[in-house]
Amino acid sequence: MTGIDHRLALERLLASDHAAPNPIDDIEALLKAHHPDYREGSLVSLAVGANRGSECPTALAASLQSNARIEDADLAGAPVVDTEVLIIGGGGAGCAAALTAAEAGGRVILATKLRIGDSNTVMAEGGIQAAVGEDDSIQRHFEDTLRAGHGCADRRLVACLASSAPDSIRWLIDRGMRFDLAEGGAIGGKLLRKKPGGATRARILSFKDYTGLEMMRVLREAVELDERIRLWNRCPLVELLSDEAGHCVGAVLYDLALHRFVLVRASCVILATGGVGRLHLNDFPTSNHYGATADGLVLAYRIGAALRELDSFQYHPTGIAWPSFRLGGLISEAARSAGAHLLNGLGERFVDELAARDVVSAAILRECAEGRGIEREGMVGVFLDIPELERRQPGTLAQRLISLGHLARQCGIDPSREPMMVRPTLHYQNGGVVIDENGTTSVPGLYCTGELSGGIHGRNRMMGNALQEIITFGRRAGLHAARSASRHPAPKVGLFHLQGWRRQLVAAGMPLDRFGPDLFPRYANFDFGDELALRGGKRTTYAPKRARRVE
Amino acid sequence: MQTSQVRITVNGCVIDTEPTRSILEAMIDAGETLIDGVGCMGQGVCGSCRVLVRRQGESEVLSALACETRACEGLQVAFLDHLPMHRHHVYAMDDWNGDSWRILERINATFPEAQHCRHCGGCDSACPKHLQVHKGVMLAAAGDLSAAECFDECIMCDLCTIACPELISPNHLGLYVRRLSTAIGFRPADLVLRLHQIERGEMVIDQDVASTQP
Amino acid sequence: MTHRPVLLAPTAAVGADLDAWLQNGGAEGLRHALAAPERIIPALAHAGLRGMGGAGFPTHRKWSSVAGQSAGDKYVLCNGNEDEPGTFKDRHLLSASPHQVIEGALIAAVAVDANHVLLYVNPHQHEALKSTRSAIEQWRASGLLAPIERRLGLRLALDVVESSGRYIGGEETAVIATIEGGFPFPRRKPPYPAESGVHGRPTLINNVETLANVTHILRHGADWYRALGIGGACGTKLYSLSGDVLEPGLFELPMGTSLRELVFTHGGGMLGPLAFKAVFTGGPSNTLLTADDLDVALDFDAVAQRGSRLGTGAMIVISAGTSIVRKVAEYVDFFAAGSCGQCTPCKTGTYQLSRLLRRIDTGVGVQADLRALESLCALLPGSGRCGLVDGAVTVVRSSMQQFREEYEHQLIG
Repeated sequence: MTGIDHRLALERLLASDHAAPNPIDDIEALLKAHHPDYREGSLVSLAVGANRGSECPTALAASLQSNARIEDADLAGAPVVDTEVLIIGGGGAGCAAALTAAEAGGRVILATKLRIGDSNTVMAEGGIQAAVGEDDSIQRHFEDTLRAGHGCADRRLVACLASSAPDSIRWLIDRGMRFDLAEGGAIGGKLLRKKPGGATRARILSFKDYTGLEMMRVLREAVELDERIRLWNRCPLVELLSDEAGHCVGAVLYDLALHRFVLVRASCVILATGGVGRLHLNDFPTSNHYGATADGLVLAYRIGAALRELDSFQYHPTGIAWPSFRLGGLISEAARSAGAHLLNGLGERFVDELAARDVVSAAILRECAEGRGIEREGMVGVFLDIPELERRQPGTLAQRLISLGHLARQCGIDPSREPMMVRPTLHYQNGGVVIDENGTTSVPGLYCTGELSGGIHGRNRMMGNALQEIITFGRRAGLHAARSASRHPAPKVGLFHLQGWRRQLVAAGMPLDRFGPDLFPRYANFDFGDELALRGGKRTTYAPKRARRVE
Repeated sequence: MQTSQVRITVNGCVIDTEPTRSILEAMIDAGETLIDGVGCMGQGVCGSCRVLVRRQGESEVLSALACETRACEGLQVAFLDHLPMHRHHVYAMDDWNGDSWRILERINATFPEAQHCRHCGGCDSACPKHLQVHKGVMLAAAGDLSAAECFDECIMCDLCTIACPELISPNHLGLYVRRLSTAIGFRPADLVLRLHQIERGEMVIDQDVASTQP
Repeated sequence: MTHRPVLLAPTAAVGADLDAWLQNGGAEGLRHALAAPERIIPALAHAGLRGMGGAGFPTHRKWSSVAGQSAGDKYVLCNGNEDEPGTFKDRHLLSASPHQVIEGALIAAVAVDANHVLLYVNPHQHEALKSTRSAIEQWRASGLLAPIERRLGLRLALDVVESSGRYIGGEETAVIATIEGGFPFPRRKPPYPAESGVHGRPTLINNVETLANVTHILRHGADWYRALGIGGACGTKLYSLSGDVLEPGLFELPMGTSLRELVFTHGGGMLGPLAFKAVFTGGPSNTLLTADDLDVALDFDAVAQRGSRLGTGAMIVISAGTSIVRKVAEYVDFFAAGSCGQCTPCKTGTYQLSRLLRRIDTGVGVQADLRALESLCALLPGSGRCGLVDGAVTVVRSSMQQFREEYEHQLIG
């Protein structure tokens, strides 16, 4: 993709009259031509598994329908550890689940691929929804969420979210998380509330513009200090363990520090592995954390769990397009709602900046695809013109766009003088594993919570509901698992579900040499075969060397 | 592209890259394996990619985040391991509840090393966010809970904990003060009221309303 | 060859008893010094005396530098902080024969016109501290200081200062910081202490062993001292021998004695059936000597030619049963714990060195860890205010040069 040279585009921007954009005649056609969720050929039908026949983005389908990385023989000599509750994932949902399970008396192991806290949670800037305002109610929270999700969400889950939200905030405060106040002091004050797009009331609670950081550092410390929780960093989930009935009875982890497999036999396994951004669906940059590679989603699907809204992802219109080291990072919608314009390399506005997110995203992609984007150091995007906004409404930057200011300075830009370069970024997986209010799935013994679960956001997630979801459902899953866990490990623990899975793959004519889960982004250059070879492991899989790169 | 090549060394691997690239990007471009010491990829909030860097011809070695540091000719980079949790500063969340007049006693008992700060300034110079770590430690050690504000933007990268020769664990001390003061002293009135309403059954959700259709 | 000990001679080992010291030739060197002060520094130069605290810097040059500074308050500091692994010579001298050290320090005061003479002693070494205190009291009461004061035209302050007991407190500028009442934080050089030391005044800092030698050089002459050494080396050296040898201990031998003679003759050879593997030379920079180096003369220059350092003369012998990586990790941990905290690369760099070494030692290291270790050894040197981080790097680098295969053998993959 090429575009108009940055310097030339800046000249044109200065000369621009910022005239209102022409209305888009055929929104349907724009979306079809340019939006990744609608574009011809971007979706395929799943050939195996519980959702056979459902549509899903091509890159995700490849992962979902991948073959297991391991055989029984690979596990020879691996230590076996028993626990009641095994939690996979060290983000907000996993930590909330671990703390609650431990408080309920469960023996808990929390295993995470990178280290505890490395997650999308820590990156969340906006805030967390909870209906605490006098003018607000949990009913409004419920209805706003359902409506924003185009009516596709599971009402029971949304009701659960909205009614538990205030208690989740109390739980967080009890663990030491601070929130901003609008008035008054720490005792008797009122919480600062911001209004999410699509809401009828201001409902987002926050701590400065790093709510997720404040939440994550508190939860991480709580987990690390809790002697009832065994914390295993750098131990990615490689496969789930099953018994003969197909129930989930534990997991195979790989300890990256000790370079060996570990088998954990667990009565309940809670997956809290987060999203899929780092699969770069449709070759999109992402605002997601490095670890967001759908590991839990892939393995839940392989063991038989049903998924929902698999074709629904949030592409945020204003991801950073330059500089490259912040590519895909998010510029909050606040900039556009404050009145900032989007302009192409010709100095023209090309879309109503406050149109629906999918329309704005498609329009930006159209400008870039048709050569009207702006090119800088090989990166292409359009301008988000903050300087013009600041001239029009002096003080906006200092009062309303503090986080944007930080971000711009990180990029080496003075936001009052130079426009930001933006293009859509893959932000969130709306759907996921089907769960009930306690996070249980269609597979006994298997729980899911957080971004990898589905049903709460329907086909569109409201700002502030992701942080609320991880606390509400993380806690519920942790509590339910601890209460239902048996002290005794299952008598037969193995990879029983893999035979059936491979039979399905063969029957559907799917390749057996596409292995999953990915564990790391493609560009991490991680070769699991090389890793196993460190210990002289025999390559029992059918993989040619570095098979993963041949995709 | 008009950018010129620069050569950097990362953990002993020689990498040719461009000065517009961050250290992490340069590693990825070069096909190096990157499965540790990486997280938010540029936002600078996760504290995973901590490195020591030394610029060509300079004697100074600085700590930095690899995702925020751009390549330059002759840059030497060494990644730092994640600090394992030592759990030598253990506390319970109801630590201060019994008698919050004796907060200072609790702080001293939980983080006794803070009284022995030797004022070397190592924590301040190690902090990649340039926070006033030492000031925060001094305030906390004097029982002044406004110490919490010094750590508002702390990303818990543990560089100050590694740097501290007295084993104070400044960032954990900061978080301790933040957490405990919030847990015992933060009671927003609107939240108190809403919880009361929900618990008394005065506020419930009717799942069957029709107004939720788009 | 046979030799007669000087510093460890029975006639010097009189403890704190000043009268006994005076009956055995004590104060003779000081009298010579006072008789011809201008000849002191040339005598040291001719004797070839070098700093015994580890650096091996020619003593007369430091002295000339301080002597050349304008008049006014000047300090002579005798550095007895001694805290390096395997070094135990200074504490012995201060306990068993403090007078030769004090006399050397007084000669220094005469040579450089210093009106403050301070003995800086590690309080963890109780005997040394007690003995030095008592010895100082006796000098003060003796009237022996009067001629020095007459020459100076000032009162001479002779005293003991307790060090912090920390390893870093032995670094020159940290000694100064301690004397000034602060924490032993080293600072950048220049300015060197000779120009700007305690309270900004010219300051001479010498090691305990160095000053003890001065006393004997002034008493017996520089030619006598030169002749004590072997080959080109001058004088004697105190070697602190420890580790896997049958008879560890403190040996005063001619400078330039071979490692083989030290270990196998004086040290009684190896302990147990396992063969000699290497020696860690002690001091601010620990390096390794291997079996190939057994015939190296243990003097500053000969050892340096082997890419190693004589240091303080500490020789920690290890047998074939010792893991190099683990031993090096212990050293690095020692440095990491001793780092004062001021410089990020020192505290944090030694942390990472230790992490990498421990990983290799515990059998979970991979090639990339070894590469990272080498890379860190290239990144860190020269980045601290003092040489502590360089010391840590030196021992790692030296061990990787001498025992590369052992490192590689412990990797997986």
